[in-house]
Amino acid sequence: DDEVHVRQKVAEVDPLEAADFDREFRALMQESLDSRKLELRARPTLNMMIPMNIFEGSMKDHHGREVEAESGDDTMDDGEGGRKDVPVTVLVKRGNKQQTRHMYIPRDCSLVHSTKEKEAAELEE
Amino acid sequence: EENAGEEEGFEYGKGGFIEHACKYCGVANPACVVRCNMPSCRKWFCNSRGNTSGSHIVNHLVRAKHKEVCLHKDSPLGETILECYNCGCRNVFLLGFISAKTESVVVLLCREPCLSVNALKDMNWDLSQWCPLIDDRCFLQWLVKVPSEQEQLRARQISAQQINKVEELWKTNPDATLEDLEKPGVDDEPQSVALKYEDAYQYQNVFAPLIKLEADYDKMMKESQSKDNLTVRWDVGLNKKRVAYFVFPKEDNELRLVPGDELRLRYSGDAAHPTWQSVGHVIKLTAQEEVALELRASQGVPVDVSHGFSVDFVWKSTSFDRMQNAMKSFAVDETSVSGYIYHHLLGHEVEMQMVRNTLPRRFGAPGLPELNASQVFAVKSVLQKPISLIQGPPGTGKTVTSAAIVYHMAKQGQGQVLVCAPSNVAVDQLAEKISATGLKVVRLCAKSREAVSSPVEHLTLHYQVRHLDTSEKSELHKLQQLKDEQGELSSSDEKKYKSLKRATEREITQSADVICCTCVGAGDPRLANFRFRQVLIDESTQSTEPECLIPLVMGAKQIVLVGDHCQLGPVIMCKKAARAGLAQSLFERLVLLGVKPIRLQVQYRMHPALSEFPSNSFYEGTLQNGVTINERQSPGIDFPWPVPNRPMFFYVQMGQEEISASGTSYLNRTEAANVEKIVTTFLKSGVIPSQIGVITPYEGQRAYIVNYMSRNGSLRQQLYKELEVASVDSFQGREKDYIILSCVRSNEHQGIGFLNDPRRLNVALTRARYGVVILGNPKVLSKQLLWNGLLTHYKEHECLVEGPLNNLKQSMVQFQKPKKMYN
Ligand SMILES: [Zn+2]
Ligand SMILES: [Zn+2]
Ligand SMILES: [Zn+2]
Repeated sequence: DDEVHVRQKVAEVDPLEAADFDREFRALMQESLDSRKLELRARPTLNMMIPMNIFEGSMKDHHGREVEAESGDDTMDDGEGGRKDVPVTVLVKRGNKQQTRHMYIPRDCSLVHSTKEKEAAELEE
Repeated sequence: EENAGEEEGFEYGKGGFIEHACKYCGVANPACVVRCNMPSCRKWFCNSRGNTSGSHIVNHLVRAKHKEVCLHKDSPLGETILECYNCGCRNVFLLGFISAKTESVVVLLCREPCLSVNALKDMNWDLSQWCPLIDDRCFLQWLVKVPSEQEQLRARQISAQQINKVEELWKTNPDATLEDLEKPGVDDEPQSVALKYEDAYQYQNVFAPLIKLEADYDKMMKESQSKDNLTVRWDVGLNKKRVAYFVFPKEDNELRLVPGDELRLRYSGDAAHPTWQSVGHVIKLTAQEEVALELRASQGVPVDVSHGFSVDFVWKSTSFDRMQNAMKSFAVDETSVSGYIYHHLLGHEVEMQMVRNTLPRRFGAPGLPELNASQVFAVKSVLQKPISLIQGPPGTGKTVTSAAIVYHMAKQGQGQVLVCAPSNVAVDQLAEKISATGLKVVRLCAKSREAVSSPVEHLTLHYQVRHLDTSEKSELHKLQQLKDEQGELSSSDEKKYKSLKRATEREITQSADVICCTCVGAGDPRLANFRFRQVLIDESTQSTEPECLIPLVMGAKQIVLVGDHCQLGPVIMCKKAARAGLAQSLFERLVLLGVKPIRLQVQYRMHPALSEFPSNSFYEGTLQNGVTINERQSPGIDFPWPVPNRPMFFYVQMGQEEISASGTSYLNRTEAANVEKIVTTFLKSGVIPSQIGVITPYEGQRAYIVNYMSRNGSLRQQLYKELEVASVDSFQGREKDYIILSCVRSNEHQGIGFLNDPRRLNVALTRARYGVVILGNPKVLSKQLLWNGLLTHYKEHECLVEGPLNNLKQSMVQFQKPKKMYN
């Protein structure tokens, strides 16, 4: 109802500014990586088991809304004509406690591809 | 305790500061923002790039060298600090998602070292598709949404340079805002107003300091107005409250006391009386400068004393606060105005939009006079457009046109219509006309003005509350009666009374079709939860932009600004603020931006001979006469007009101007003496005092004329007292049958000051219905182009005269060559 069409000059990114930002971005990235590599502590212990109860029955997201357990067509239309999002479970930790969250990610995301491909591959076997 | 009963102030700032709004651009959609988790920072940023190569959050992290973030509690993952699921590393530059091989399960994992731990592969995790959290200098868009195009367009358009500057500032002052970047130093000239603004933040950056300057000046002026040794006359009002009457002489400075102003009355005490003081509201002002002050508290008033009182002005920031708040809502609240209006007001190029509404079959309204063609055209086109300007030259019926517009808007069923004007007088006039159409009107007055009499009292909210006669209200009535009888209530009763009153106020206000109040009144806390899609502002050319904004930011989708930019604009007291452009109204800026005002073209006020010059000089000759010469003849009035059927003349004056006693104004004695002669001639010929207005641009002359007439007038003194002598400015919006204009300025070398403004001349010339007399020095005035034109016009019509009133002769005075217009 409140659709408005503004004829706008295309915002230009100042190339000098962009280059400067890029330099700082890379520096920060490198510094982050280096700081981890230099840490002389032992390889981390692994604590990445997927809790088995995740897929039992329907689940609630953190708002208390019911979220459907995985099923073939449990997708959400993002309104842009056909491209669908798929639901995923996100594991997070609160302190040492495992928690699950639910969200949608686009079907063309590499994360989705890998799981779907794997599923297809496994089906073929 | 002086503030008992005041409800102002508690709503302000609400919504002004959304904590989780992006510190760069103000976007506050919870799905689009994250919080920097650095303990010394904790600022929120959005995931839009705006005009930079990285998104705002990434910009911040890089520039500030901060590395941790937390998601918003209303985001899909809830309030979550992003960290590696395995090792707890929180550096977002190292984090990415991985998914399980078989299930739709994902976790965040750091690139170093966890991603290179081989054992993970054996644990059913797919490490080949690590998906970094920050991709292309932006957070993953499915984790932190990018604001929509509309949201981004309405956000602050921050540049990379500004980002760098504010980040620099935050290093020493974490609470600094972007506004601090633009703040002028104490001695700097403020930034001038512009035609177009990037966004509402820039708009606010320009106007907020100007409003501050004006507020400071106003405060300084008003607080310096203390007067001692006043004589007070005591009375009791109908509501049992104490009223003090005293004369509060006006200085030459332009301070104007108005009903509703607050004054503090003080008595320093004597042997029989303790020191006493009380604050009260001005409820009445007489032409003789006597003030009626209704005191707030009636206890301990030294009513047996009449001499030795002092009075000070109590300055209130309310109106300025409301302007500042309106600008804030305009910037941060997306629902304050529609997108179309937002962009249009800022001067962005917006594709023309029409309002989809079925038009009424006829455009007039019940209870109003029949509309003429230009009025019908105005109503019709206004109803179809989201933004309209109506220009109403003097006497062209803009109140009737506005009332008809409001009538049709209210009938469209889009909710209540808000109708405002900068002055109370204009609001009252409109309220009356709108009510005549049968619509339910509530006139909301400031609390401080409730005791001030109003011509539309029956429409006022406070009156309706008192007279709503239903049984449920009996409790309120009982308490009201008690309060009226005793003057005050017990604190528990007062509490009950207030809450009942508030509920009743709300009920009455909600059931109205139309709410009428001043522009500043639209910021009243009693309207805090109201939304108005349709807003009409009359006299909009007399209000500053921020004042005009107050009624607009309450949800406007369709706005109508009525006014006349060829008449006087808003009064700005602070020269610095005026120079920077605060005196330009929103109406004028929209005209400059290309919005074409719809002009009402038929004037019903002036004798056709009087409208000719204003029409040609100010309205490109488009003003038509809706009155005939016959309708403007005054039978039985024998006044020596030089030309029959042309009730006008320019009376040549050669008397010297003087500086007034205060040193800040001018007066002209011979002109004043001649004004008295003209007035007396009018009165003798059968004109009554209320038909005559004497106007002059100078306060010094105004005071001198009043004084002179009362001492030297040859008729009964009372007659002269009843006659109004006022400044040009205070006559705007009003009319009289006869106008006498005293120009005052008469010098060879200096300019003509106030008279130099063509808009002031327009106002002065268009107040009269039946006749005009101008007194001035043609030699001086003719130097100015417009005045030269006026003098030539009068001369050509043989109306430039000199000599005694009973023997006026055409003047042969030579005009000077007009100089180019200067200002
Ligand atoms: Zn930070
Ligand atoms: Zn932002
Ligand atoms: Zn890790």
